[in-house]
Amino acid sequence: MLSVKNIVKQYATHRALDDVSLEVEQGKIFGLLGPNGAGKTSLIRIITQITAPDSGEVLFNGKRLSAEHINQIGYLPEERGLYKKMEIGEQVLYLAKLKGLSTPEATKRVKFWFEKLEMGSWWSKKVEDLSKGMQQKVQFVATVLHQPELIILDEPFSGFDPVNAEVIKNEILELNKQGATFIFSTHRMESVEELCDSIALIHRSKKIMDGSVLDIKNKYRNNTYWVEYEGVYDTDVSTELFEVLYRDIQAEKIVLKVKLRAGKTINQLLYALLPTVNIHRLDEVIPTMNDIFIDQVKTKI
Amino acid sequence: MRKILLIIQREYLSRVKKKSFILMTLLTPLIIAGFYGLIIYFSIQGAKGTFNKIAVVSNNKTLTEKLTSGNNTSYVYVNETLETLKPSIRKSGFDYILYLPEFSLDKPAGIQLLGAKQAGLTLNNRVEEDIENIIRTQKLKESGIAQEKLDKLKSSVSIDNKKIDENGKDEDSSAGATMIIGTASGILMFMFILIYGIQVMRGVIEEKTSRIIEVMISSVKPFQLMMGKIIGIALVGLTQFILWIVLTTAISTIAAKMFVDKAPVQQKTMITAQLKAGTKMNQESSNPIAYVQKSLSNLNLTKIISVFLFFFIGGYFFYSALYAAIGSAVDSETETQQFMMPVMMPLLVGYALSLSVITNDPYGSIAFWLSMIPFTSPIAMMVRLPYGVPDWQLALSMVLLIFGFIGTVWVASRIYRVGILMYGKKTSFKEMIKWFAYRN
Repeated sequence: MLSVKNIVKQYATHRALDDVSLEVEQGKIFGLLGPNGAGKTSLIRIITQITAPDSGEVLFNGKRLSAEHINQIGYLPEERGLYKKMEIGEQVLYLAKLKGLSTPEATKRVKFWFEKLEMGSWWSKKVEDLSKGMQQKVQFVATVLHQPELIILDEPFSGFDPVNAEVIKNEILELNKQGATFIFSTHRMESVEELCDSIALIHRSKKIMDGSVLDIKNKYRNNTYWVEYEGVYDTDVSTELFEVLYRDIQAEKIVLKVKLRAGKTINQLLYALLPTVNIHRLDEVIPTMNDIFIDQVKTKI
Repeated sequence: MRKILLIIQREYLSRVKKKSFILMTLLTPLIIAGFYGLIIYFSIQGAKGTFNKIAVVSNNKTLTEKLTSGNNTSYVYVNETLETLKPSIRKSGFDYILYLPEFSLDKPAGIQLLGAKQAGLTLNNRVEEDIENIIRTQKLKESGIAQEKLDKLKSSVSIDNKKIDENGKDEDSSAGATMIIGTASGILMFMFILIYGIQVMRGVIEEKTSRIIEVMISSVKPFQLMMGKIIGIALVGLTQFILWIVLTTAISTIAAKMFVDKAPVQQKTMITAQLKAGTKMNQESSNPIAYVQKSLSNLNLTKIISVFLFFFIGGYFFYSALYAAIGSAVDSETETQQFMMPVMMPLLVGYALSLSVITNDPYGSIAFWLSMIPFTSPIAMMVRLPYGVPDWQLALSMVLLIFGFIGTVWVASRIYRVGILMYGKKTSFKEMIKWFAYRN
């Protein structure tokens, strides 16, 4: 639904985005990853039309991004806040009306969401009387209230306690089920694993990797396995079959992390071990997004 | 358009609902009316004075003319000696004893005014004047001038100040009132522009520090947000101004009525006459109310107020756009200092020059240029206006101001759109110029 094509954004001495392209599919949760200062926020500001790119274009449902799309996007910035002296209910209403909702419609929806997230009693409170977590909840409601097709969340879980983070996560999944597309910008990899269908990794203003989470993980499998066993195996055989990355002896059991040499298979490994040892466990080591992220960012330095 | 209206509405309501706004709006007219009331009160008190009953003990055979009682003093000739009357003064019902010893009319001496209280300067002067009067009357009579002739000698003169306008018609004017009105509206303009301009700046800083700006900017254009804020706050200023005028007029009318109703009949007629302001009264200079009232009725107040509103809106837009740009460039109010100076300077210079140069020479070339350049014209024009400004100059100044504020709004909006998204950086003028040049 969203195609970013060859975006370049140059600030005075600093190129924030260098020929970045990516595709966000309808109904998916898309993770926009990258270390601090990589250019994520610059890209999001272009998608939300806060700034314009120097070259390249963004297509929204096949159409070039324009003012008509503003109301179809909901954006929760990382640097977010509310008017301190304004009442909560009034404030959310105001933000909803700015997104094009009529007063009665906006009122109805604010009431619905306040009820749903147990915020009913907050209506006439002032923002300065709320805790940070409560403010975050208000901001989340303001972001999704106008039922945008595309919801962009920049570090949505920062500042939430685990209980409220879970509440918000479930709301995100539910909205996603109803058809909303999400772009997640974060560097908390565990939430990426949990939520994202696909990702793009931006580093030093360039996209260095993208694709579905599953594909990327498969790509980064490197024939490494955990083996837990009892007994002794033939070391002559093993050295040409695999390399031991890690060894731990726990009472009778031995835990190994091994990497198969090129061209060797798991069957060959089992075949070599079975005659002399009792195998308790054998798992493939699948890299976490965190590992991939760190690996990619480090190797590109 | 709908969005900008929503922003205007929020900016307006959130300020008008504030307690400080309501308090300021209600209290100021009360204070003004209070001053007004005080002036009226004292002028009535002054006219009325305290009533004194004076016993006249006269040992003087030469002075045959008798003192006549006036508004605030009554003279009663008594057939007692000073010695017998003195001890009983507190019980006698008289406030003072006036003792007239024998003296020659050419050299009156030894006159005494005795009382339980020390006689005030006003009373002393009045009694002296009364005695001088009867001495003069008697002398005139003695030199053979008839009473009617004497009466005819008295005449009352009052000068009408008139100014001839371009069409050759004369109109009433009063130099003092013109200056007061000009200065007052100049000061008011200065205060309004400053107070509400700074409110715009504060509003922008508030949005930046509370970090709501990025949420807002994803819904509306920076220009819409800036203009919405500027217009919203302008409406707050207008509301306050109009309420001040309405409330001040209402309160002073009621107050004036109450004072007039309470005053004794003879003063009442005098005060109403003064308040009606049309009457040419001799005491004009000594009676501030009548004076101001009269002068006000001579000046074209409707014109002054409508020109004030125009220049307030124009000058406010001109400066508040600059204040918005400053607000967008900083992270907190403490950082505004270095940028405030260049914006404040022309306003202050305009203010200072208007109050000194223009009031001295309202038609000079400095006055002309100050009232043309948009940086100073809102204040300078207000100071000049009561003295009379040719229509073409007024129109030219207005047009220049309109171009001026379109210019500052344009410059400011280009700085603003970049500035509001910059955090944690110390901004310099060089930086702001770069922002101005950014394409988007």
